[in-house]
Amino acid sequence: MTPRAFAAMLQSRLYVSRRLVLYACAVAVLVALVQPAGVTAPLFCCSLLAVAIALDQTPGRHPHVDRCEQSAPLFGRELARAKAVVPCVAGLLATIAYAGVQIARGSPDAAATLLVVSPAVVACALVALSATVRRGWTRALYVLLACVTSAGAYELGVAERLVLPEFAFCAVIAFAALRQYGETLARWDPLWAPRP
Amino acid sequence: MALLRMRKAFFSNAAVSGGPVTLDLDGGERAALNFERPLEATIVALMAAGIAKASTGTVLIGDYDPRVQSVHCKRIAGFVPHEPVALDDAAFSRYIAYRAALWNVDARWAQTHAAGLRERLEGMHEAFAYPLIGALVGMPRLLVIDRPQAAYARQILDVAGDRALLSTHANATAAQAFA
Repeated sequence: MTPRAFAAMLQSRLYVSRRLVLYACAVAVLVALVQPAGVTAPLFCCSLLAVAIALDQTPGRHPHVDRCEQSAPLFGRELARAKAVVPCVAGLLATIAYAGVQIARGSPDAAATLLVVSPAVVACALVALSATVRRGWTRALYVLLACVTSAGAYELGVAERLVLPEFAFCAVIAFAALRQYGETLARWDPLWAPRP
Repeated sequence: MALLRMRKAFFSNAAVSGGPVTLDLDGGERAALNFERPLEATIVALMAAGIAKASTGTVLIGDYDPRVQSVHCKRIAGFVPHEPVALDDAAFSRYIAYRAALWNVDARWAQTHAAGLRERLEGMHEAFAYPLIGALVGMPRLLVIDRPQAAYARQILDVAGDRALLSTHANATAAQAFA
C-alpha cells in the first residue's frame, strides 16, 4: 500500500467520522474541566471514547466508503492497518484535548496523562476494532476485552506506577489485536453487513 | 482468454445467497443479467467484481481467481454500486483524489479525466454519475454495474467505451436497455 493510499483512507475515514471525533474531543474537554487532577479519569474516559470511535468503523455505517475500500486493489491487512489508525488518531486527539485542559488549569498531571493514557487508548481502540467485524456475543466480548485492557493499563500505569511495563503491556496487546483484525478483514465477507 | 469467466458461480452465507451464474465476457462485450431479487443482482455483481468470493463454482477475472488474487482482480474490474452517493461539487474533487490515491493513479490526470467524464455524463444525476466516474478513474478493463438506472443507459454505455461491461438488474426493462 502506498503512503498516499494510506493517507487517503485515513483522511476519508476521519472525514466521515468527523462529528464523532469532534464530540469525543468535546467530552474529553468537559470531563477534564470537571476532573483535571490525576490520570485515572483521562485513562478510562479516553479509552472509552476510543472504543466508541472504533465501533463507528463497523461495516455498513459508512457504506460508500466501505464499498470504495472493498473494491480498491488492496490486501485485507493493508486495509486493516489504515482503518486501525483512525480510532487511534481520534482517541489520541481526545487525550491531547484532555491534557490541554489539564495544562490550562495548572494540573501537574498533563505529562503523565500523555505518557500513560496514550498507549492505553491505542490498545483499547485496536482490540475494539475486532468487535466491528463480529456480531452478537462475540462482538460484546471484544468490547469487554477492550475494557479489560483499559483496566490492565490502569493497574500497571496508575495503581502500580509502572510506566514502562504498562507501555509494554499495551504494545503487546495492540500488536496482537492488529494482527487479529487484519486476518479477519482478509477473510471478510462483504455481504455480511446488514443491508438497508 | 475471456476478461470475465463465471462457471456456476454461486454465493451463499448464513443470510443471503445468489447465483448460480455462467458467463463469458470478453473485452468490448457487454452483458445485462436480470434477476428476480435485487439482492441477488447485487451478489452477482459483487462476485463479478471480485469483491465477494464465490462459495461454489468458478469466477476468473482476467487470469485471476478472486479467492486467491483479489488485488489483481480489482485492478481489472471496476465496480459501481447501486446506491446513489450524496456529494456536492466541492466533495467531488476530493472524492476523485481519494479514488485516485486508492488506485495509485496520477492525481492531476484523474481530475482532468473525471472532469471530461462529467461533461459526457451531462444530464445524469450526480448521485449516480459520481460513483461511475469514480470507478472509471481506476481505468478498469471490466466495468461491473449493480442495477444501473435504465434512463441513463445511453450515457453509461457511451462512457464505458470499449470496456467489457456487465450490468445486473432486477427489472427486465432496465436489462433490455443495457443488452
